[in-house]
Amino acid sequence: MELDWRSFLLLALFAVPWDSWGSQRDPVTSVMWDYYHERLLGGEAFVFDERVKLSAPPFAEDARQVPIQIDASAFDGQVVRMLAWAELNPIPQIFDFQPGEQVLPRLAIRIRVEQATPLRVAVLTRDGLWHVGSTQIDAAGGGCTAPSVVRAQAGWEEHLGEVLGKRFVLADANRLRVQVAHPMDNGLVGGIPEFFLNQAQLRDRSGNTLASLELFPAVSENPTISLDVKGNVETELWLRDNNGNEFKAEL
Amino acid sequence: MRWILILAALASACVHANPLAYDLQPRQIADGVWLFEGSTDNFSQANGGNIVNTGFIVTDKGVVVIDSGPSRRYGEVMRQAIARVTDKPLLKVMLTHHHPDHVLGNQAFSDVPIAALPGTTALLVEQGDTMAENMYRLVGDWMRGTEVLLPTESLEPGMLEVGGRTLQLLALSGHTGADLAILDVQSGVLFAGDLVFYQRALTTPGTPSLATWLADLDQLQHLPWKQIVPGHGPLASDAAPFAQMRDYLGWLDGVMRSGAEQGAEMNELIRTAIPERFAGVNLSRYELIRSVSHLYPRYEQAAMQRVDR
Ligand SMILES: [Zn+2]
Repeated sequence: MELDWRSFLLLALFAVPWDSWGSQRDPVTSVMWDYYHERLLGGEAFVFDERVKLSAPPFAEDARQVPIQIDASAFDGQVVRMLAWAELNPIPQIFDFQPGEQVLPRLAIRIRVEQATPLRVAVLTRDGLWHVGSTQIDAAGGGCTAPSVVRAQAGWEEHLGEVLGKRFVLADANRLRVQVAHPMDNGLVGGIPEFFLNQAQLRDRSGNTLASLELFPAVSENPTISLDVKGNVETELWLRDNNGNEFKAEL
Repeated sequence: MRWILILAALASACVHANPLAYDLQPRQIADGVWLFEGSTDNFSQANGGNIVNTGFIVTDKGVVVIDSGPSRRYGEVMRQAIARVTDKPLLKVMLTHHHPDHVLGNQAFSDVPIAALPGTTALLVEQGDTMAENMYRLVGDWMRGTEVLLPTESLEPGMLEVGGRTLQLLALSGHTGADLAILDVQSGVLFAGDLVFYQRALTTPGTPSLATWLADLDQLQHLPWKQIVPGHGPLASDAAPFAQMRDYLGWLDGVMRSGAEQGAEMNELIRTAIPERFAGVNLSRYELIRSVSHLYPRYEQAAMQRVDR
């Protein structure tokens, strides 16, 4: 009797030890991995890990507003940091997120992409290992160098820092969604210098930090951000831009 | 071994001998009314962008052309095909809207008045070059020599007498903000432009709102039409395209509305199951991904409140 191809697949599956979801095999085609491994992860130990889910559409319909969503719930309670970047962007870095104990290691945000690129999120767990989630997005391009939509609107300065938001009850968490009015100038367009939100903290009502988020100007104009918190603790979102403007919202 | 090489050479010679030829066969759908039916696929290097329906009406005095297709080459082939049907002169080209697959054949009609709604011309001025560039990227060499040629006349809604025939023109907006629908009163053929897609998922990059689009469909359906030429998809002689459009727009609206109410992310919405009843609608997943990008921000904002302090 011959084994059919499915049996070979099963054999291959069982040949892999149960605990090794990660591997050294890059799931996307990348010429830049070694560079970013060195530059952003300091060359530290890592695995490509499919338990870190990084979602993006297969193509960027609007290269200025590309939604990405990261879910590292598989490592809930062990996550120290989450770094995201778009490998072929002129400004690759997206965020550096430190969810505390009351915030799930999940985050959604919209970014600009300049061309088709691999996307990465590296999740550092307490044991010192980076778990890297990856995906690839196709794009006609130009998202980073397109003229600002915010700046084209008269009186945008008066709306700077306005926050639209809402709390949603999910099965396992409360989702906090916000959209902050800010041009997020990345310094690549029309001689306008960098002007972007670079820091955010989620705090409880006593001022304790629940999560910290550093943002980079790969993040889209009027950033749209979702965080998932455990339970229904009342929160305050604090934001600051690189010019020192501070903004606050309550959710 | 050698004969294989020869065969391969012959095969590739054949491919090159007949490069990028549009096969446009005019089909008579009513007295004096002709249709060029495109596929319901996406733009590709294989189809040269021939995914669109164009047509023409032969009046006593000459021909009214409706939309000019996706490229200069398409417009030229279209013009040759019209000349095989009638030797009457071309009176006018009418553009249903500014999207590239409907207007980039204009150069083939540069000696004929090209008419459009003023809003269509304005959108073409604003977006035409970018859209043409995008078409080069999508279909490649078929586009060679194609440039945006702006309309030379503007159209107003109402009854228009052309060559002894009456055309009822409607200025609507659901698909792009400026959408012309043309009812040939004599034959009852309704050229709906992209206000009606049939068996092909509708596209939303410029829609003012899905509610506007639904209202336009009501207006169109109340006209005394006998046949509907959708912008994309097969000709119909019953109300099935209207029913499908309403169903589909209502579904899209519901997906985004409930998504926004439940705090869904775009990446969650684009994976929404496509209802079984839309299995015959080509490209529905692809267009859902696009529509979420175009429309979901509005639904999100409507569902959120100011929370800054
Ligand atoms: Zn269209």
